[in-house]
Amino acid sequence: MKLVQARFAAILVAALLIAVPARAGIYYVTVSGLAGESDYAQEFTQLANDLDKLLKSTGPDAHVYTLINATRAQLTQTLTRVDSQAKPDDDFVLILIGHGTFDGYQYKFNLVGPDITAQDLAKLCDQIPSKRQLIVNTTEASGGSVMALERRGRAVIAATKDGNEKNATVFARYFVQALHDPQADLDKNNAISAMEAFEYAQRHTADFYDSQKRLATEHAVFEDTGEHDPTRTPETDTGEGLFLSNFTLIHIGATQQAYNDPAKRALLAQKEDLERKIDTLKYHKAAMSQDEYKEQLTQALLELAKVQEQLNK
Amino acid sequence: MKRALALAALCAAIVLPAAQAARSTTPDECEKLRLHGQSAQAQSCYESVARSSSAYLRAEGDWGLHLYEQANNEFRAAVAQNDSSALYRVRWGMLLHERFNNTDAEQLFKEALQRDPKDAQAYLGLALVSADGFDSKALQWTAKALELDPKLVAAHELAANLALEDSDPADAIQQADQALALASDALDAMAIHAAVELLADRSPDAWFAKISAVNPHYGEAYAIVAHHLVLNYRYDDAIAYYRKAVEADPQLWSARSQLGVNLMRLGEDDEASKQLMMCYDNGYRDAATVNSLRLLDSEKNYDVFHDGDAILKLNKSEADLLRPYFDDIIQRAMATYNKKYQMTLPGPVQVEAYSDHEDFAVRTLGMPGLGALGVTFGLVVVMDSPSARKPGDFNWASTLWHEMSHVYILTATNHRVPRWFTEGLAVHEETQADPEWGDPITPDIVVALRDKKLLPVTQLDRGFVRPDYDAQVVVSYYQAGKICDYIQSRWGNQKLLDMVHSFAHRTTTADVIQQDLGMSPEEFDKEFQAWLYQSLGAVPQNFDKWHDALKQLAADSEARNYDAVLKEGPEVVQLYPQYIYDANAYEFIAEADVAKGNKTAAAAELTDYEHQAGRDPDTLKELASLEQDLNEPQKAAATLNRINWIYPMDAEVHRQLGALWLSQHNYAGAVREFNAVVDMHPLDKASAEYDLAEAYYDSGQRDKAENCVLASLEAAPDFQPAQKLLLQLHGSQ
Repeated sequence: MKLVQARFAAILVAALLIAVPARAGIYYVTVSGLAGESDYAQEFTQLANDLDKLLKSTGPDAHVYTLINATRAQLTQTLTRVDSQAKPDDDFVLILIGHGTFDGYQYKFNLVGPDITAQDLAKLCDQIPSKRQLIVNTTEASGGSVMALERRGRAVIAATKDGNEKNATVFARYFVQALHDPQADLDKNNAISAMEAFEYAQRHTADFYDSQKRLATEHAVFEDTGEHDPTRTPETDTGEGLFLSNFTLIHIGATQQAYNDPAKRALLAQKEDLERKIDTLKYHKAAMSQDEYKEQLTQALLELAKVQEQLNK
Repeated sequence: MKRALALAALCAAIVLPAAQAARSTTPDECEKLRLHGQSAQAQSCYESVARSSSAYLRAEGDWGLHLYEQANNEFRAAVAQNDSSALYRVRWGMLLHERFNNTDAEQLFKEALQRDPKDAQAYLGLALVSADGFDSKALQWTAKALELDPKLVAAHELAANLALEDSDPADAIQQADQALALASDALDAMAIHAAVELLADRSPDAWFAKISAVNPHYGEAYAIVAHHLVLNYRYDDAIAYYRKAVEADPQLWSARSQLGVNLMRLGEDDEASKQLMMCYDNGYRDAATVNSLRLLDSEKNYDVFHDGDAILKLNKSEADLLRPYFDDIIQRAMATYNKKYQMTLPGPVQVEAYSDHEDFAVRTLGMPGLGALGVTFGLVVVMDSPSARKPGDFNWASTLWHEMSHVYILTATNHRVPRWFTEGLAVHEETQADPEWGDPITPDIVVALRDKKLLPVTQLDRGFVRPDYDAQVVVSYYQAGKICDYIQSRWGNQKLLDMVHSFAHRTTTADVIQQDLGMSPEEFDKEFQAWLYQSLGAVPQNFDKWHDALKQLAADSEARNYDAVLKEGPEVVQLYPQYIYDANAYEFIAEADVAKGNKTAAAAELTDYEHQAGRDPDTLKELASLEQDLNEPQKAAATLNRINWIYPMDAEVHRQLGALWLSQHNYAGAVREFNAVVDMHPLDKASAEYDLAEAYYDSGQRDKAENCVLASLEAAPDFQPAQKLLLQLHGSQ
């Protein structure tokens, strides 16, 4: 998974130099919490079920756990099971759908029966050996959970910028939609990264409030270095966004097949060289004349297209 | 009507300083001096009053010296000292009314009436507050004031002003004359006379000479005339009179502010800004001044496009997207109206679309009627952008077409046209352009028709300016539009054109009806209403029955009782076929049809909805989807294209329409639609640029196709369809 948009150019070169460990498998835990009203119950259940169905269809490497109207005991039990099964090279994704509260100090995810604090959730996730973790908290006030959940090797996405945005959110709706929508695959590499899903959901959430002529009451953020405050956009200086861009949530094509064919490894290496060349070119775009840039970009893209043609044979 | 005089009841006297005179004086004497242009003497007089030992008199003195904060504080003290005084509250209310605080002013007038139910000045105060909002209560309050005090000059002057606002010059003259009979120096009454003359294209010089004889610096008289010119769409003339007002009295900030506002309306932003800043810097900060300055400050957010005979101003954030659609409607409207009205405009028309409704609202501040969607000031049209409202709230193209009609009619008549006729013609033109445009009859209008609330044609202007009930403005638009429909259907288009020419010659509505249609206004009303009620069938009488039936249908739909919906739905539609607003029968029936697997019937139902000018984008998208499922791609494309005139802010609609048109070899259409997707800066830039590249490629525009495909691959180098197109473009060179 490469980076998603041109504006990441500055961190793009650095990203290519980082060896992204190949993951063995991925553990998805989706939790639909206490809904309260029936409309919410219907929506939360629907979203969790949609995710369950989609994730289970992604292949044998996906280990999918879905809890509807979950209790704290069920959540603890499920995370403990993942702890016992997952290996360090397995990715781990926790998606929280429902309501949350923040009292100015502590965030709580609302469950049937006793709620769970962000601190307690963090402790449970800390026990899971996966070196790459992602927590997507889609509830209101979820921004209040980021500080407790973040750590190195774990990205956190929250539907609200802090704990004070306390109206029910629509972010979950669009985050789930992103995983179903090929248009979320912005770099067209047949995989949807966590950053692509975040940006898709962020844009559609904003469009929702805009079209309804309502003041937006949720502003999604992320933190993926474990060291900084949450942000709404990738940041070159801090490297925020790099981890999410490299975190593949789901594959939507058959790209993996090519990598398994030894006869095509040389072509793949050539392809990666060209991709790197194009990324570098884009990085230097501002320093080049328009004609020079266009000529070199066209040449590199043509070569890449031809290599892809060979790969497709 | 800046300040109400009539302090005659005031008996309190103060002692002037020795240097002045050894006699007492009163605030009304000071005001008299001011009215007569004796500024220095008035100033001394107010200074004396301000030194009084009475808090109330100090308030009057400070007010006269323009020390508004002090005056406000003194009034507060006066009221605290003497809670039972109605007068103190009335005068305090008058101060607040003058200083832009009508809410508290109204409250003070009401409190005064609690203390003295027969206080004519308090009723006058309420009338002034109501008059500011074109509220019909202004007439009632004025009448009450005059009933209690028939000699209240200011009330007669206000009554004259209201009558002229209501297009009743005869009554205006009568009221003005009554004021003059009571006070030969009733300058506002003279100004009303001058306005009546000017509106009738006669010279007002005699009246201005009389005004000057009393007070050569009485700028308010010119401002009153300017106000009536604005109400009669004569913005250039109004600006000229506001200039006269500030020339006569450079410190008449209310007139200077209006000068700025009206300059802005006509696009003279630089001078408007200077005039408004001068007001602001001198402490005149009413809503119109402050909001207009704020709007002028936001000009940097707009792009302005000059295209020969049209100037288009759009918010930068949506300019690229909207420009082709606005250009299309402007050019089509101009071609249509040039031919129909046999004229060309004297200069370029300027269309401004505001993405923030509040910005648009500033443009219409102080205007009567709804002014909700668009307003025309001479050659300048201002309106809500499609993005300023919720999807489906309005058909922006229909609104622009409506406003463009005003541009032509105001030009053709040199701004001499009654409100009902220009609005009626504009409404009529909407459905002439496209039967699926315009606003279908709303329940409010049906109820008004049921209750026989239509106005006689000669009084129809009043329904726009000073409505008697909440929905009357909307009902008046509808009635005026239907009158024009009726005239066209009975006498043909030429008769409407004849009427335009007759109004241009200052003929009254009654005379135009008689002269051009050959019948009295009363006969016309009778025959028009017979036609209207016949065309509506039983819809008005059926309203209550329809209402109950629709409620039941909604309940059946909610319960997924689709058999009942399909059985009862058609009758609900029959009872009121034009109802396409929230929770309409068409959508309930279509939903039931889909649930039963009958997509053909669902599509037919939603097509009926579409033909009745249904405009909910989601419903139309559903229809397009059904049409695609039924293998009717051309119908689907037409339906999606219709959404462009309602809410062109949906990238998915543009993408689908582009794809449909591309497959139908409508390359120009496909390029426009895919360009729209790109202009919306989608997250998926690669797909958007690729789609556009394909449309350019298929239309033979290889250079543009290559630029787009490169943009696509720059965003996503591994995007295989774009890679193939790039190879195609280069392989065939």
